[in-house]
Amino acid sequence: MLQLVYVELIKIFTKPRSYIGFLAVTAVILLIQFAMYIDGRNYLDFMLQTMRQSFDIGGNILNGHLVCFIILQTLIMQMPLMVALVTGDLISGEAASGTIRLLATRPYSRGQILLAKYLAGTIYTVALVLWLGILALGLSRLLFGHGDIIVLKTDSLTIVRDADLLWRFFSAFFIAILSLMVVATFSLMLSCFTDNSIGPIIVSMSVIIVFTIIGTLEVPFFDHIKPLLFTTHMVIWRNMFDDPLPLSQITTSVSVLVAHIVVFLAVSFYYFTRKDIQS
Amino acid sequence: MKKLILSTLALCLLISARAEQSPQQLISAVYHSFHRVVDYSADVRMDFDIPSVRIKSLSGRVFFKQPDRFRVRTSGIVFLPKQNPYYAMNFLSDSTAYTAVATGAERIGATDCKVVTVLPLKDGDIILGKFWIDPVRQRVVRAQLTTRSNGLIQMDNTYSAQAYPVPDQILFTVDMTKFKVPKAISVDINSKAASGDYNQKGVGHITLTFSGYKINQKLPDAVFTEEAH
Repeated sequence: MLQLVYVELIKIFTKPRSYIGFLAVTAVILLIQFAMYIDGRNYLDFMLQTMRQSFDIGGNILNGHLVCFIILQTLIMQMPLMVALVTGDLISGEAASGTIRLLATRPYSRGQILLAKYLAGTIYTVALVLWLGILALGLSRLLFGHGDIIVLKTDSLTIVRDADLLWRFFSAFFIAILSLMVVATFSLMLSCFTDNSIGPIIVSMSVIIVFTIIGTLEVPFFDHIKPLLFTTHMVIWRNMFDDPLPLSQITTSVSVLVAHIVVFLAVSFYYFTRKDIQS
Repeated sequence: MKKLILSTLALCLLISARAEQSPQQLISAVYHSFHRVVDYSADVRMDFDIPSVRIKSLSGRVFFKQPDRFRVRTSGIVFLPKQNPYYAMNFLSDSTAYTAVATGAERIGATDCKVVTVLPLKDGDIILGKFWIDPVRQRVVRAQLTTRSNGLIQMDNTYSAQAYPVPDQILFTVDMTKFKVPKAISVDINSKAASGDYNQKGVGHITLTFSGYKINQKLPDAVFTEEAH
């Protein structure tokens, strides 16, 4: 089984498209860090000017933690697209190239093949988030130091103290991994249904975009639908920076994400193990 | 015995003389008493109760130097009133810049205070000042300033048996009607307005509790200009 996962990892990492995510993450992070390094103080002064009319805000506002938070806000909603680019191709890519038949002749069950592909996709997702963490948190702390952060909500703000931040960031990264695994499993499921790799990638991206748009629309009709969309729960990482921590909300969202993974994976197994492989 | 009676009489006369001081004299006495403090540094604990802002208490060090240099040095982010605690004192330094009117007496805690209202004669940030003064210890117990820039600001000072007129605690009450949460940096696209009284605007409270005063130690100017660590 381990050998199968290893082979799948080799397949993933020998494809140039697998590095698009890493390159995009690196480029965006370095750009944000460069911009904040050059003009961060002016940017923050401009942003906080309404509050500064009432209060004198003291302390080191521009620090690595704030930069990391801004990066996460910018990137986490885009990262599912990078993951889908790889995981949407895991089955359908092989079907398109005709290698799935060859793979099915190996002394492994279809369930094992699918599981190996899923685990390889998960490892890729974890690697991408780890890379994000190293650059966004590690490099930002190195460049800007550390300190408290101001977390803004629609109508309030929370100051999270420096000493209370590292575990929140690690939890946020864990939730980000879980969220991306939902997307990975979803695109893997779609990948089982088709014989071309573009379809699952495009459909995954479209679903994420449509769900995100529905999530942002303040139309009462959508209020009943929003809790059912996995994209609504993917932004729960942000609640790790609330004070007090909304534990029940976080637990619910994490459960919904896990449930999505289980359902998508179950459908994938059901379909793939019964699939009539013709290509 | 004769000496004791004479001393008691003298003390009573002194207290009654102080009690009958004109508002201008009262303010002048407070101002001169305060000027015995050339500079100080102290440990400070800051507690915040600001609508729409969730911020935990923080400790730091505070520095003051006459006439109105004031700095709080902390390792974290703090929200402090725009006016430093001695802003009012600085305003009272020029006795030709205002008219002081006695507007009664009031008891604050265990202290009987004279209430003095101050009307500026020149255009400036302060529109009106009201001071609750302890005439015996010559200290401002409460100051209420109506400002053009920040509306109403109130400072309630608590003193201990300290020889110098430096407070153990200052409670700032700040008008929050002009306060706005910025819409950028990190907008939460999925959040809705908070429920309950959390976001209701009104007044914000900031409490500074001082300890370990070091008074008149000849503070260098650098402490007011150096970058925060």
